[in-house]
Amino acid sequence: MEISLQSLIPIPLKDRKLHEQSAIWKSNCLFRQAEWIKIQAPSGTGKTSFQHILYGIRHDYEGTVMYNHQNLKDFDEDALAKLRQEQLSVIFQDLKLFGNLTAFENIELKRLLSPGFKTTESILEMATLLGVDGILHQPAAICSYGEQQRIAIIRALMQPFEWLIMDEPFSHLDDVNIQKAATLIASECKARGAGLIITDLEADNHFNYQRVLYL
Amino acid sequence: MLHQLLSKLIKNSAGKTRFLMALVGMSVAIFLILSAVQLQVNYYQLLHAKDNQDSIANFLVVNKIMTDQNIGSSSLSAEQIKDIEAQPFVESVGNLIPSRFKAAIQSNSERFPFYTDIAFESVPSEFLDITAKDWIWNEQSNYLPIIVPNQFLDIYNFQFSISQNLPQLTPAVVKMLVFKVTIQTPSGPLSMNGRVVGLSNRISSMLVPQSFMEWANKRFANSPGTNASSRVVIRTKDPGNPLLVKYLKEKGLTTDADKTRFSKYRQVVDFVVNISGITGILLLVFALLIFTLFIQLTIASCKDEIALLVLMGSSPKQLKRFLMLRFYPPNIWIAAFGLILISATQYWLYQFLKGKQIILSPFISGYTIVAAIGILLVIAYVNNHSIRKWLRQKK
Repeated sequence: MEISLQSLIPIPLKDRKLHEQSAIWKSNCLFRQAEWIKIQAPSGTGKTSFQHILYGIRHDYEGTVMYNHQNLKDFDEDALAKLRQEQLSVIFQDLKLFGNLTAFENIELKRLLSPGFKTTESILEMATLLGVDGILHQPAAICSYGEQQRIAIIRALMQPFEWLIMDEPFSHLDDVNIQKAATLIASECKARGAGLIITDLEADNHFNYQRVLYL
Repeated sequence: MLHQLLSKLIKNSAGKTRFLMALVGMSVAIFLILSAVQLQVNYYQLLHAKDNQDSIANFLVVNKIMTDQNIGSSSLSAEQIKDIEAQPFVESVGNLIPSRFKAAIQSNSERFPFYTDIAFESVPSEFLDITAKDWIWNEQSNYLPIIVPNQFLDIYNFQFSISQNLPQLTPAVVKMLVFKVTIQTPSGPLSMNGRVVGLSNRISSMLVPQSFMEWANKRFANSPGTNASSRVVIRTKDPGNPLLVKYLKEKGLTTDADKTRFSKYRQVVDFVVNISGITGILLLVFALLIFTLFIQLTIASCKDEIALLVLMGSSPKQLKRFLMLRFYPPNIWIAAFGLILISATQYWLYQFLKGKQIILSPFISGYTIVAAIGILLVIAYVNNHSIRKWLRQKK
């Protein structure tokens, strides 16, 4: 699935000078299938807004976002749900876990929304790999932020997708855990032939990026 | 499993008491509505079922109420008969034509000596409750067939025969007797044989065939006149119809009050059915309102969870299905329980009335089941509508 952006700009950023050098805001831009893209940007330039626009949460923008030549604004709620279940997965900066569900239930809920793609055992495997197998049955609300971040990563990998969109996914992880998480994400993306878009503040080598864009 | 997780997220935070209250209201409402339907069906069945049908009840002899004003003009005009015929509760009308000549009957037998002056009436054959093969007359006939009211035989057997020391008669014996009918004609008395061919419960008159009445009235009438009817027989589906009773009263007509006695019962049943039905519908509306409010409160109190579920890719259809599964099944249980309760009551009623020779179906009617399904469909529609509405608003 290709994502093309035409003259995209969130309305709150419209009158700011920041976007003058941007490769994305107010530009025409094409993300090809299976491309791995890093979007680097300092705070306040609209990283989270960009992710939310791509994911269909925010609609206060000018320009267009096209998924395979179909305008995102034309997706109805069922089409959007299908997109989020089958083609687009996301790791939010604020993680968006259900605090009253356990870590395991948060992941399992996502798995059950796309039934038949991953098994319950794969949750345990990934949790072991990322070192959170011991806290799977704790309510997510009482896990540390780093643990929650790893739970959100595993949750995002429970569904089929063609694009994985991540907003500062490793902000609260140490280098060793970043390495483990990045390896897991890379292998899952490769297995699906999927592309990834990661937004972050600084330059990094977590993945073999084909393009690095500045917001 | 998904539903278990969703149940953990979307709790009945609007309160169990309120939910129970809505369920109790719904139970009473469904029970009242279904009872009203079953009661109406039972009453209809009692009125119209063959087993219970009273053969005299569907035929009413109607005449003007005799007052000081209409003495001498008691006959019904053609317009009045047409008007009666035009009423929706009247199926057909038959004219009762009176004889306009003097007649007498007397016994041919020494053993049963009797003599009495008599008058006849005639009515179209389809209004008779007797189908005698001898019920025909023409000028060549050897005897005049007569239908006698059963009441006459009762009066004879239980009063007259005892007071006169005469033998009592069975209907079979009466039908074997041949007696003399004498008509006063302008050229002197004319005698012929007469024979009782049947005993009627329907019309309290000595009846002769219409062909005889027309022939005799034409030849022997005391006064020139038309064959105007003094009375009519009407055939009606429901003699208890309050509209019929009202019509007769308005037009100054009367009939056997006993036959329209169902009218009063019918009004009572209609009243009970209406009260039960209207109360049931009002309760249903209130229960539905409470349910809607309950759904709204539940969705409002879980709006963050619902928004996050949608973000996770949960489709509105999935959420709607989950919420319907949460709110709707109790209604099915309530309707099923209501039907079981009414079935039990119906069976008890069947047993109870059987002892009183009143036959009612031991099972509830299809209409009651259709009503239950109808109510469930209404609840499903309202629930579905409010879930969709509030989900859309909360997103």
